Amino acid sequence: MKAKHIGLLLAGCAAILWVTPFAWMLIASARPQVSGTLDLASLWPAGPFSLDNYIEAWTSGDFPLWYANTILLCAGIFAVQCATVSLAGYAFARLSFPGRETIFSLFLLQLLLPPAVLVVPNLVMITQLHLFNTLAGIGAPYCASAFGVFLMRQTFRSMPRDFEDAAMVDGATRLQVIRHILLPLASPGLAAFAVVSVTSHWNEFLWPLMAVSNPQSQVLTVGLASFTSGAEAGGEWGVIAAGTALVAAPLLVAFVLFQRRFVSSLVFTGLK
Amino acid sequence: MRLLASTAIALSLLTGAAHAATDIDFFFPVAVQGKLTIELERLVTAFNAAHPDIHVTAAYTGDYSATDLKTHAAIQAGHAPAVVLMSANFIRQYAITQSAIPLDPFIAKDGQTNDQFLGEFFPAVRENAAENGHVYGVPFQNSTPILYYNTDMFKAAGLDPNKPPLTWQEWVDDAKKLTMMDGANFKQSGLTIISMYDTLGWLVSGFAMANGGDYYNHGWGGEVYYNTPSTIGAVQFLDDLVHKHHVMPAGVIDANAASNAFFSGRTAMLVNSTGALGFIRDNMKLPFKVAFLPQELRHAAPIGGASLLIPAGNTPERQQAAWEFIKYLASPEIDGGWSRFTGYFAPRMAAYDLPAMKDYIAKNPEAKVAVDQLVYATPWFATFNTVGVRKALEDQVQAVLSGKIKPAEAMAQAQKNADALLLPYVEQTALKLPQ
Amino acid sequence: MSDLALAAALPRQGAQGRKAKPLLLALALLSPSLILLAAFTYWPVIGVTLRSLTQQRFGQSASWGLDNFIRLFDDDHFATAARNTVVYACGTILPSLALALLFAVALRETGRLTAILRAVIVMPLLIPLVAAAALFVFIFLPGGGLLDYHLAKLGIAETNWLGDPDLALGAIIAITIWKNTGYYMLFFLAGLAGIPEELHEAARIDGAGAVTRFFRITLPLLGPTIGFVTVIALVNTLVQIDHVIVMTGGGPSDSTNMLLYYIYQQSQQNMDEGLASAATVVCVAVLLLLSILSLRALERGIHYES
Repeated sequence: MKAKHIGLLLAGCAAILWVTPFAWMLIASARPQVSGTLDLASLWPAGPFSLDNYIEAWTSGDFPLWYANTILLCAGIFAVQCATVSLAGYAFARLSFPGRETIFSLFLLQLLLPPAVLVVPNLVMITQLHLFNTLAGIGAPYCASAFGVFLMRQTFRSMPRDFEDAAMVDGATRLQVIRHILLPLASPGLAAFAVVSVTSHWNEFLWPLMAVSNPQSQVLTVGLASFTSGAEAGGEWGVIAAGTALVAAPLLVAFVLFQRRFVSSLVFTGLK
Repeated sequence: MRLLASTAIALSLLTGAAHAATDIDFFFPVAVQGKLTIELERLVTAFNAAHPDIHVTAAYTGDYSATDLKTHAAIQAGHAPAVVLMSANFIRQYAITQSAIPLDPFIAKDGQTNDQFLGEFFPAVRENAAENGHVYGVPFQNSTPILYYNTDMFKAAGLDPNKPPLTWQEWVDDAKKLTMMDGANFKQSGLTIISMYDTLGWLVSGFAMANGGDYYNHGWGGEVYYNTPSTIGAVQFLDDLVHKHHVMPAGVIDANAASNAFFSGRTAMLVNSTGALGFIRDNMKLPFKVAFLPQELRHAAPIGGASLLIPAGNTPERQQAAWEFIKYLASPEIDGGWSRFTGYFAPRMAAYDLPAMKDYIAKNPEAKVAVDQLVYATPWFATFNTVGVRKALEDQVQAVLSGKIKPAEAMAQAQKNADALLLPYVEQTALKLPQ
Repeated sequence: MSDLALAAALPRQGAQGRKAKPLLLALALLSPSLILLAAFTYWPVIGVTLRSLTQQRFGQSASWGLDNFIRLFDDDHFATAARNTVVYACGTILPSLALALLFAVALRETGRLTAILRAVIVMPLLIPLVAAAALFVFIFLPGGGLLDYHLAKLGIAETNWLGDPDLALGAIIAITIWKNTGYYMLFFLAGLAGIPEELHEAARIDGAGAVTRFFRITLPLLGPTIGFVTVIALVNTLVQIDHVIVMTGGGPSDSTNMLLYYIYQQSQQNMDEGLASAATVVCVAVLLLLSILSLRALERGIHYES
């Protein structure tokens, strides 16, 4: 039993280290601005608290716009992904056709080629498609998710064929089968995929940075970067902490509330 | 702001404007977001109200580099903005690659020659605005580096706060007296010089010129003079500050760290831009003054700042609307007001004849120092592929400041790297000889 | 989706659906994904390879050739970026995997405390890397920043973490470890859950201590998971450079320049599409090679297990 306690103790110390940046973020954002950093490094949650920093961050940055764009982007990507991965996953799970394994490997290969590595040619592609500076341009490279296809294939494979067979005998088309039988049954898997998809696209930076140059279509990550570079020049650390909190809050709060779901999603999808 | 803008559009539509307003977009960088952005947007709204046939939408595009990137990206995608407030030393690159249009026709239509037009601006800013005799940029906000110093620390060290150092020797002597150590650490460093990318290249060009040299070929963007005694000497001076005189900490210091050190009393002297004057005035609670940069063989201070240009790829209507907007911003009243608000100096000379400006200078002696130093101001370093060529120098100087390499070797390497980057341009111009 | 409407409109056709050729049907179902894959993965790979073989200097016309690659391998910045990437990879993958494994082993029991500790370690995964960068700029601020401020209380000298060419890469590595360890820990937790408790029981009865059990039972059986996580970590190494973009700009003195940052720099700052394309080709090739090698090792591991 001793090993277990030592392990717990070390993990506890590590956890304290791990949480420090977040602790500072909360404390510094709630303390009114003090010039210089003499007090800002202190982690002691003392002193008068105020929401001034949040108000200043909200008004000087363009957070409502960035939130709207980011939510639209993530929702849009996931919606399209649902369609593409379900159809493709079904094809791999239920149909046997020549070249199935080869085509599946083509999908798998995509896992190794994230859009970030292909920014240079992808930028050319979306410019040619007249999608530069649009949210659709940011989202397009992510819409075919090999990860999602893999996941859906596993999910469908693990489901008994009885319902589908019965439905098809009754004359339902495959599309109807997918939509009315398989998808509802696969909803835990889809929900897990939603968690992974939204989290990763919410946090994307390099590709949105290059795909969009006009401020109307900026997302939270890019907005935050330009916001902090301006505020850092002013040494306004409290405002920076507040701005960072505004960007990080949604996913963190969701995580704290739905911890179990998040963790099982991330693991479930990863292992599959 | 957006609500105001849309209401304005709606109103103008209701009042039945005879023709649709020309919609133009304006990219701008500002050093400190927030207050400056709001002020600029106020200026834009005032312009839109006074010009019902033009509608300007201002977009904050990050810092100078980010603005450059976004402008290029927009031009390549076929959505060039109509007006960009571009870092003054990037104008040469835009001219060379024909990514901006010459403004000569607009100047001529207004009844001036190029020389007359440029003559309205301080001499130091004229060179960066033109290339090969054509005007590409209209200067809007400019700065020079100046010396900020903590007067209490001067007094405590036995120095006269009204007699800042005038030469490099005095500078070193004063810095030594102002340095206080705490074991191996600096309790109070005598001097802090910002050494991050962009600012470092700017400052080193000033030091090189103060040391008698010329950093780059002013008339043609294909040559830089890194591996010359004047530049090597300037870099040696910086090296000595850290490793011989021990008045400055080693390593790269960015603007935040430097300003914080000054505000919290951990450094006595700070080399920073006049553009930061407003910000420093707001945040520095300890008493301070400003002074010219000390000289060695001569006084020299490179100008920094930004000018307004019109990118290529805009229709004639947009270009005309853009020109109207540029004239508005660069007018003595507006430019002067912007200068008072930000701490940049107004490159438009007539701005200093206006009563509001005279008043301001009388009440703010620091602002006067910046203007007085303009006599010694030199153009901003600009070549083909300015950023890459500048980084070739900065990488080496940063290594010197960190004690990794000696100045002579560093400058030889910097020259070699810069020449490699300039080669494509050189091969098409100076080395393209008749067959 | 018009297929569905059509299908619904037609009278029920019995088992007619089954008669359709499986290949055509499969391709129809796969087409949305395949088109997108072609457009944004495969065509870009072909396109960037072609672009990398197109040389065009300033003022000249385009031609085929290896000039871009020659310039690439001649470029000191590229060599430095490659070297830094290797250091970054070793510096992040090994520690975060080791830490993730140790955390997973220490925290695998269910319980209030372990759940909280696990949550804390996983949290960095959920924020964007640029948000982490914004926080860490302050943490690493010399003198007044979080780290220096508290280290000063222990009598440690003020250090310019991000301004010293010898330390900056270490600072970037630290941020990446902080960000990713929790994610890898989740995989190890799942992997550990898959190890039957009987094996541990049997070993305990035989007298094996905790450490022995870890090395003899846990580690080998986690082989596939470790291999899988390594591939993910490798991809992350190449792809996660947001903090370099906003914190150091590749500096000081190129000490935090990495492959993807180099590509970004050549493309966006130096406007050198040829060089950026050549570097992308190299990056893709390295990524594919490493991943294939790891997956092969992974497969061998799975065979070993069964």
